[in-house]
Amino acid sequence: MNLTHFWILIASLFLGQLLLLLILAWRKQQSNKRESIIDRQYKLLTDSFSSHMMDPSDERFITELNASPYRLVVLERLLNHYVSVTKAGADSPAVSRLSEEFLSERYMKLLKRGNWAMRMNTLYFIEDFRMESLVPQLKEKLAKSSRLDQETQQLIRTLASLNETMAIGALAKYPDASARLYIDVLKRLDELTKLDELDIALKDENTNQTLKHSAISYIGMAGITLFLPRIEEELQHPEMETRIQALKAILHLQYMNSPSALAPFFQSTAWPERMFAAQIAGKLQLSRYKETLGELLGDPVWWVRYSSAEALTQFSEGDIVLTHLAESHPDRYARDMANQWKTSLLGSEQ
Amino acid sequence: MQEIALILSYIVIAYMLFSSLSYLGLFALAYGKVKKENKLDKRESTEDFLRNQSTYPVSILVPAYNEEVGVVSTVRSLLALEYPEKEIIVIDDGSKDSTSLRMIEEFKMKKIPFAVRTHIETAEIEAIYQSSIFPYIRLIKKANGGKADALNAGVNLSSFPYFCAIDGDSILENDGLLKCMKPIIESDGQIIVTGGSVRIANGSTISRSKVELVGLPKSPIVIMQIVEYFRAFLIGRLALSHLNILLIVSGAFGVFNKERVIQAGGYNKNTVGEDMELVVRLHRLLREEKSKQRIEYIPDPVCWTEAPESLEVLRSQRIRWQRGLLETLWNHRKMMLNPKYGSIGLFSMPYFLFIELLGAVFEFIGYFIIFGGFFFSLVDPQVAGVMFLVTVFYGSLISALAVLLEELTLHKYPKVSHLMRLYFWALTEAFWYRPLMVLWRVRGIIATFQKKAHWGDMKRKGIST
Repeated sequence: MNLTHFWILIASLFLGQLLLLLILAWRKQQSNKRESIIDRQYKLLTDSFSSHMMDPSDERFITELNASPYRLVVLERLLNHYVSVTKAGADSPAVSRLSEEFLSERYMKLLKRGNWAMRMNTLYFIEDFRMESLVPQLKEKLAKSSRLDQETQQLIRTLASLNETMAIGALAKYPDASARLYIDVLKRLDELTKLDELDIALKDENTNQTLKHSAISYIGMAGITLFLPRIEEELQHPEMETRIQALKAILHLQYMNSPSALAPFFQSTAWPERMFAAQIAGKLQLSRYKETLGELLGDPVWWVRYSSAEALTQFSEGDIVLTHLAESHPDRYARDMANQWKTSLLGSEQ
Repeated sequence: MQEIALILSYIVIAYMLFSSLSYLGLFALAYGKVKKENKLDKRESTEDFLRNQSTYPVSILVPAYNEEVGVVSTVRSLLALEYPEKEIIVIDDGSKDSTSLRMIEEFKMKKIPFAVRTHIETAEIEAIYQSSIFPYIRLIKKANGGKADALNAGVNLSSFPYFCAIDGDSILENDGLLKCMKPIIESDGQIIVTGGSVRIANGSTISRSKVELVGLPKSPIVIMQIVEYFRAFLIGRLALSHLNILLIVSGAFGVFNKERVIQAGGYNKNTVGEDMELVVRLHRLLREEKSKQRIEYIPDPVCWTEAPESLEVLRSQRIRWQRGLLETLWNHRKMMLNPKYGSIGLFSMPYFLFIELLGAVFEFIGYFIIFGGFFFSLVDPQVAGVMFLVTVFYGSLISALAVLLEELTLHKYPKVSHLMRLYFWALTEAFWYRPLMVLWRVRGIIATFQKKAHWGDMKRKGIST
């Protein structure tokens, strides 16, 4: 190759880039123009949209929407904003009606032919707008998927949000499905269905341990005290992971029918069990364990010492106990920890 | 002499063509990945995590040395972050200015006794403060020990399983942390580190610690750094991350699994490239354990930072970076071309050695030959001409391509004029900016042998207005 070849190579690369630059600049200009029109339309329609949501017989919005060149995008944005800012947005019949009327056909096409990002967005919107008419398409799509990738995960969540219990069964097909995904599904089901599914998940004959742990965890997170006796039973479970999940749930539920069931956990060989027991004793202000908490302040594990000291601050005379322990505890690390907690109310943003 | 020069010319030309092709290969890999997620509604894909109790809490560590101008606005921007549970720990590494005082006054901080677990040894901790307005903001005042030591102190004090390291004069986009944590949460902990994109804030309008309007600065030096960041982040890191062989997570913004970092021994205090060194050590740990855990780069979460506007500061920054790269490669030379470390040893380490580190040496020789060929008949002007064209290809056209990739995918700069200015400045790179970088990077290699560690001093103007 000589200089001329290199000139040709560089010049053609440069010209190619220049062409791409021009195309991108043109595309940017068009997209900026389009965005500005959509933005204007959005602002223009906000008023009539609000009126329509309050009084569906006000048809002004439908007329204005039909006249808009970007009606589907504008409606999608209006509904999305409404759903994210209003509490009952997702369950609003007006949202479902509008989305079913205007968007279902477009979403049906996108689910089949759109690229990955567009299919994902469609799944999010179907969930947000509770578009039940698309359930058959979603089920069909789920039947075809063989990997638990991001899209399948969202598909399962979307089906759960439409109260389809088959979402749990679909997850169970994948042995590597995480507890987080099961919880995502459980929390999306409606209240009654959710209670039934939790009941089934907690039964002994359920061999899916991930589902069981997720159910226990979710009961704690959602504060469903109805299941408290069942959770307390799980404290006797031979598997440690199940017992830890039960302890965590009790900590969230902030109640125990039989606090004596907690006693063995303070002597557990597993430090997470000692830590959760200490946290529960503090949260529930179980004064019978105050002395034990003082002893646990000298535990070899930092987290247990930390939780014990934190637990002691929950009692009315916690400051006095901690001051005493900060001076007299035989363990140096226990004294440090007591010292820290007696003077500061440690916090994190929640 | 002329024969040696000719042989050298052929070697450099071959090297530059090879490097350019490897960049194009990385570009092709990066393009597919970014393009796939381009149209994803980012808000929809993260909003579930915002309300989810399974979202891991994060400790945000802000190491600061003489950052009195920017530290408060950085912490304010962190306060505004959308994230369910977080704590913010600022580590004042023996600043000579009023970094601590600014923090104490602004957030009404009080000294507290704190039982710190010493996972990693650090320089002496002088005091720990806690904000009485926001109890989850803490300040560690410690003796000077360098950035790595400051981060280690933060790791010791942090209470959450993941930490985010962010520079003292950077501003994170509101959903940046959530987007960075998303892959970690979704992978159920299989991803142990995520690094976000770092962008240059000079020229953008920032108010109340938030980037309100993205813009371009007037200074060509800063514009060139913007282009350089595109090249590094969008082409290099994304493609390497795709292959799970990413060796750098920017010190300005990255999220780490704390347990893994402690296991690896924390940040290394004996190198100026502590961010890269830690990532290499984590890779080493993962490979030695035959673990399937990954380190990933996320192109979208953006952290805005102030770029140096003066040549003097830029020079010292680049010398430091090059030195950090060489030190890391030297410290982990055992991994180089070692099949035990898989693609890291066989591909990534040689790539960083030959392309990122020695590239400066080859380019330096290249510029020398061009100059010598045209003015002193050192080589045939035809050869010098080819060298010149290859240098333009390697220096300017690849950078211009990075600008186009940004526009094709993320398009963060809103105006057509931004795109045009970035593109045309990128074309000038080989003629003035790149020779400077090459010179400083070669100087950085020499500086490695002179060992003198210090924080990267930079006169801050502050990026928040």
